[in-house]
Parts: sequence; structure tokens; C-alpha cells
Amino acid sequence: MPDAAIECLDLAKSFGRRSSALQGVSFAVARASVCALLGHNGAGKTTTINILSTLLRPTAGSATVAGFDVVRQSAEVRASIGVTGQYAALDELLTGRENLTLFGQLRGLRHRYARQRADELIERFDMVHAADRRVSSYSGGMRRRIDIAVALVVAPRVLFLDEPTTGLDPRSRRDVWDLVAGLRHQDVTVLLTTQYLEEADVLSDSIIVLDSGRVVASGTADDLKCRVGVSYCQVTPADPVHLAVIATALADFAGLGSDCDALIDQKAAAVSVPAPDGVMTLGEVFRRLDGLGIELADISLRKPSLDEAFLSLTSTAVTV
Amino acid sequence: MSALTALTLRTMSGTLRDADLLFAVLAPVGCFLGFTLALGNLIDTGRMTYPQYVLPVVLVQAMLFGAMTTADRAARDRLSGFGVRLRTLPIPVVTPLAARMLYCLIRAVVALVAGTAVASMFGFRMAGGLGYAVLFVTIVLAFAMAVCLGADALGSRIGSVESSSQLLLIPQLVLVLLSTGIAPAESFPAWLGPFVRYQPVSQVTETLRGLASGHFTGVGLAVTAAWCIALLALFGCLALRMQRRMR
Repeated sequence: MPDAAIECLDLAKSFGRRSSALQGVSFAVARASVCALLGHNGAGKTTTINILSTLLRPTAGSATVAGFDVVRQSAEVRASIGVTGQYAALDELLTGRENLTLFGQLRGLRHRYARQRADELIERFDMVHAADRRVSSYSGGMRRRIDIAVALVVAPRVLFLDEPTTGLDPRSRRDVWDLVAGLRHQDVTVLLTTQYLEEADVLSDSIIVLDSGRVVASGTADDLKCRVGVSYCQVTPADPVHLAVIATALADFAGLGSDCDALIDQKAAAVSVPAPDGVMTLGEVFRRLDGLGIELADISLRKPSLDEAFLSLTSTAVTV
Repeated sequence: MSALTALTLRTMSGTLRDADLLFAVLAPVGCFLGFTLALGNLIDTGRMTYPQYVLPVVLVQAMLFGAMTTADRAARDRLSGFGVRLRTLPIPVVTPLAARMLYCLIRAVVALVAGTAVASMFGFRMAGGLGYAVLFVTIVLAFAMAVCLGADALGSRIGSVESSSQLLLIPQLVLVLLSTGIAPAESFPAWLGPFVRYQPVSQVTETLRGLASGHFTGVGLAVTAAWCIALLALFGCLALRMQRRMR
């Protein structure tokens, strides 16, 4: 990617001899875009962020952030990034305002400008009512807001947000989403990690799916959905006894030689087959089952959920 | 430089709130009063008054207390999100350590002034003149730096806020109670004598006592200086080694 703010090439990291957290991760993030690293716990999301923010040294491979190599030019990288970790990184004994001022000074602002900048951010992050209370008295949502504000004290070129909404109530999560969405217009590149597909879908321009330290898919949310299948035709018989018969009858929609049982969703008592031709496929399915004289409770066409995409992407990686 | 100042002030305002600076004053004052009132008439210190005898070990103990709180702060900076974030900032990796040590120095001065002030009310005098007083202060602060660096290295290594200061409690008690700081070596059982006589707290307090009363031996001063320099070098290296950024 010519104008990439983040570029990873075959990044690998192992802790000790046995556990390898990353096994050759490559991806690029375009400047001023929001990218989500999506994966379960232990997929390697935080390890990736830690390498990119110069907290960990990669075992192999290389990475650049804002054009600087994370190992050889780590000082330059640190001057270009803002980081919020999984846990709020604030001094609990200080107030929100004092934390902001402190980090402003640590980023090289003079005391007076650091105070000014703190005032601005407090205003922008809607924290005026709590700015002069100690952080130890804050709720999770307030902490997270000040935490993100701290990372923005000096506008970074690249911002890392490690699970920015984990542990937040739905309203605070919305607030954080709005904040991140607002960064798009300020030439800040954001790399965030999340376990929530919904969050990746709402916030990011591109998604990278990590599983067991490998990239198993990348692209936009729509790309990922398409990769799993255009849409599905779901058939629910009036009597679940007929599930197997239906699956056999529709097996060719799922491709030759496909395992009929895999088409059956026992919990929903339904059979799902890919429907590349949409309504045409649905009509064909209906005619075929009608010909067999099977009574149906429901037949519908639906898009795959991002959850389905995610599950299918990560589970194939396990079987490979 | 401004990062160092900012981080030191951060510790200062934090410790004003968690009352660490208050304890920096109360610990030497309380220990001095406790030792003097409880033991002053029980322990034979020859011609020297007990306040004159005991102040050095009260100051040394205050420095050891300071080191224990440093271990906690170092552990917190190692573990907490705050400390992790410090390592992602464009500041030298030793700056947080330097800020903690600068705070230790300030805390040590506060404790030194408080302890000396209360002892003066009970008759403690710097009999040796200005030069001796300067040497007295230098040794107290050098000893404080040495033990704080050691505690900082331990706290950074252990990385557990609960256990690091606890670990230091026992050696601290042993070194202070089994020293010639509180009572002369003759008051201990004979088999403990060699340890009591030659361990660093005894050496340092004896030199301090000599400086305060205006007569001391060159050998004693040399041994004390050697202890301080050796501990500073050893613990300084250890503390620096703990400050690596990348793992």
C-alpha cells in the first residue's frame, strides 16, 4: 500500500519456546482510516498492538508505523502514536484534568499549553462536570473517555485502541463509538481491537480477522459477509422429522459432494442452503419441496450475519 | 527535563493525597519519641545523651521506610496501565526511574528535617560545626538513595504492589533492631556481636553519631563511604537494568 500508516510484514512473536502469539501476520492500514483487528481472546490482537506501539519486540518480521520501523526507529514511532490499553492508563490519585495536563507535558507541551489543551479536551469529551475529581472516583465510561482524551493530547498520527469498549455499559459504548467516528475527519489513523463484530462493523473501514496468531481474512465488513456466501435460503419444515429428507433434496445447492448434515441447523429445526440467485433459488427450493409433498412452516431468504462470517472464517482456520 | 519535572510533581501531588509525605514526617518523629521515651532511661550510652545517641538510627530507619514506599511505586509503574503508557511515550526510558528517585530524595530531606527538628527539642546538637553537618546530611541522603534504588529494582522486578514492600519489612526490622543504632553492641548476646557491629546500619549510624558529636575515626568514615558507594553502584545497576522498554 503506497500511503499506508501501518504496515506489518510477516510479524511473528513467541513467548518462550512453546507459545507463539503471532505466526506471520501481514497487513496494511491506509492513512486516516479506521481498521479493526477482530478476534477471540488469545488471537494475537493485543500482541500485535504491543509490537506496533514498541512495547514488544517482534521475534521475526517487520512493521512500520507512520513510516518508521518499530524496532530500529522506535523513538520516532513513539513520537507519532497515541495508545490506550485494555485497562485505563491513568494515575488514580490525580484528577482527570491533572492527568491530561501531565501527559501533555510528557508529550513535550509547556505547562501553560498543556493546561489549555486539557481544558479543550475536557470540553470536547463532555467531562466538565468531573474534570476536577480524582480518577479513582470515576465510572468505567468516564475513565475510558479521559483515557482516550489522554491519547489525543498531542494529535497522534496513529492511534491504537485496545478493546476500547470492553466492560462498558451500552451507553458508554455508544459514546466511545461516536468519539472514534469523529477522529476520521482529523487525519488520524486508528487501529482498534475488538471481540465485537458489531463494533468492527460500525466503526471501521476495514477489518482484519485474526485467529491463533494468523490473519484469516481481511477486507470491509461487506467483503467478509460476501466471502461466506451471497445469501441463504432457510427452510423450516412443519415437522422436524423431514429435516434429513430436505437436506438431501437440496444438497446440490450447497455444491456437489457436500455433507447433507452440515446444512441442518438442529437448534432452529431448519435447513439452510446458499442462495446465489436470491428469489430464483427460493422459488426453486419451494417447487422442489412442494413436489416432495413436505409441509413447510417457513421459508425465507436472509443475508449471512457478520457473526456467521466470523465463525466460518475462524473455524476453517482451525481445521486447516 | 520537563518530563522529569512533570513526573516528579505528579508523584508529589499523589503522595500529598495518599499521605506518604505526611508519613515521611511522622515516622522519624514517632520513632524518635518512642525510642527516647521508652528506652532513654534503660540503655546505657555512656556520657552521650540518648537523643544524641539514637537520632542517627531514627533517620536511617526513616530512609528505609522511604525505600519501602518506593518499591510499591516502582511496582505500580511497572504493572499499571499508567506505567505501560509511559513506555509508549517519546521520553527516555529512565525518566520514570529518575522521577521516582528525585521524589525519594525530596522525601528523605523532609524526613531528615523533621527528625532532626524534634531531636533538637530533646537536646540533640550538631556539635561538630558546618563541615561535619554537611557530611552528615550527605551520608544520610546517599544511604537513602542506595536503599531506594535497591527497593525500586525489587519493586520493578516483582511487579506486585502487595508483596514488594512486605518483602522489605523483615530485612528492615532486622537491620535496625540488630544494630548499634538503638543500643551499644555490649547489650546484645555475644554470638550476635559480630553481625551487630559490622552490618551497614551500624556502620552508618556510628559514623553519623560521630559526625554529630564532632569526633569520628577515619576508618569508620571510610567503611561507611564504602558501604554507601558499593550499595549505590550495585542497586543503581540493578534498578537501571529493570527499566528496559521492550521485552
